[in-house]
Amino acid sequence: MSVLQADAINVRLSGTLIVERASLTLNAGEFVALVGPNGAGKTTLVRALAGLIPAEGRIALDGSPLETLSPAARARRIAYLPQGNVFHWPLAVANVVGLGRYPHGDPFARTNDADRAAVARALAATATEGFAARPVTSLSGGERARVALARALATEASVLLADEPTVSLDPRHQLVVMGLLRDAARAGGAVLAVVHDLALAARFADRVAIMDRGRIVTDAPSHQALSVERLAAIFGIEAAMVDAGDGPVPLARRPL
Amino acid sequence: MISSRRSEWGLAFALAALIALLAIVSLMSGAASISPRQALAGLFDGQGAEGIIVRDIRLPRTLLAMMIGATFGLSGAALQGLLRNPLAEPALFGAPQAASVGASFMIAYGFAGATSFAVPLAGILGALISVGGLVAIAGRRASLTVTLLAGLAFASFAGAGTALILNLAPTPYAALEVAFWLLGSLEDRSIDHLLIAVPFLAASWVLLAIPARSYRALTLGEDAAASLGVDLNRTRLMVVIGTALGVGAAVAVAGSIGFIGLVAPHLVRRFVGSDPARVCFPAALMGAALLTAADIAVRLIPANPNATAIELKLGVVTALIGVPFFLAMIFRERRLLEGSPS
Repeated sequence: MSVLQADAINVRLSGTLIVERASLTLNAGEFVALVGPNGAGKTTLVRALAGLIPAEGRIALDGSPLETLSPAARARRIAYLPQGNVFHWPLAVANVVGLGRYPHGDPFARTNDADRAAVARALAATATEGFAARPVTSLSGGERARVALARALATEASVLLADEPTVSLDPRHQLVVMGLLRDAARAGGAVLAVVHDLALAARFADRVAIMDRGRIVTDAPSHQALSVERLAAIFGIEAAMVDAGDGPVPLARRPL
Repeated sequence: MISSRRSEWGLAFALAALIALLAIVSLMSGAASISPRQALAGLFDGQGAEGIIVRDIRLPRTLLAMMIGATFGLSGAALQGLLRNPLAEPALFGAPQAASVGASFMIAYGFAGATSFAVPLAGILGALISVGGLVAIAGRRASLTVTLLAGLAFASFAGAGTALILNLAPTPYAALEVAFWLLGSLEDRSIDHLLIAVPFLAASWVLLAIPARSYRALTLGEDAAASLGVDLNRTRLMVVIGTALGVGAAVAVAGSIGFIGLVAPHLVRRFVGSDPARVCFPAALMGAALLTAADIAVRLIPANPNATAIELKLGVVTALIGVPFFLAMIFRERRLLEGSPS
């Protein structure tokens, strides 16, 4: 069932066309990886899908145009996790995760039971309860990534858009974060993540969309999308398909 | 979470009690010595010499110190929340300096009496240009380096503007009047000064306090905050206009007073934590306490033994305490400043 649907959208930044005629559909229960070379327009596409920048063309959330929703209504249904896991103030982890409930409250609302339950579920899912009271700025990179993800999960939105959630994480945390994103999809969410590690994309995502110079050039089940020929043409790499026990995944060998 | 909320209320009550105490001391302090009992009696019945001194001279001054201090404390907390760094403060962004240009122009050229609404309006316009320009230049990433450099530029330009007004003042008396007024003082302020400032100060409190939840969401950066439903343009506009109204009106009646906005939020963070939404209210109370205390200090420290009636200037005292404090904060935040956060 399609939740978020973009039909041939264009996105311009300062007059330059960054995303060109991009179409992408996210379905409930599905984890889609968005891959592509640096500068392909992945971040811009994700920001447009999150409703943060205007796009030409139609983006529909559950059938209704994205721009007709109020910011709060949109925020309750689309959670967005930007790059870098930025935390400017040393807030306690539980309070950071509580920010995921922001779109559910009105200006005078105190935290209610539903908020507390959602925060507890997000902390439990990401195994961050153990440091819920610690300042977020005192955590390691891997812990911060899990807290950032917990904040996005706490919204309990039907769509989760994550921009490079595994960047600068150790191998174990890359697997943990990708696993959490897949879990969010299995729980019924529509999940899109920008990923640079092609092997991770192949192993965890149900579908892989490849972006090149502003266009989505491939959108197919993971094992079909990431072929040796396509990786050569789009990424300029010679790749080998390696089987790590759960099907062949691409391994970049050298630049072409 | 529960314990921090309790400490938040505890701090608020402690600060409110401190402000009440400082207010009584402020009503007692000055050239004529008045006991606490006389001060309170004078305040409520207004009888006799004490009544006149307390009600007409010291009460407006005390109320102005409390309200202007609260305004600076709150605007510092709001700017720090908006720009996500603990070194934001109206004076570092050239806001009081720019307000001084507008207000001193009015005063030097005698376009308006000191208690006319034209003075705060000119001050607000000056502050609006500097804070608005600064927030526009800081942009989406609000890099600390860009923000502070732009603030330095605005402050320097405003300083040059004030110097030009002094330079071209119609009479030496006008130049002297402006020069002294620029140092910042609450001496001889009347109920009329209070009345022209209050509407603008009250409006600034409302505008700066409403987006408090947005400051908290901004801890995740602008994109994440926008994705949570924060209207960034509205938040920026409210902080810019709120700061300009508060700083412009404060400068118009009290001259240039700085660094309360830097010091007050920093002090309360030790008690209520770093949540920018929870810092706002106690920072306003702390600002009120600090400026009231400073205004008592200028009356108790004789500036000139041969002419004890001449007080130290309030802006001089806040800068003498505030600038070393600022340097200490820079020292502590060196890591932050070296790797300017995105």
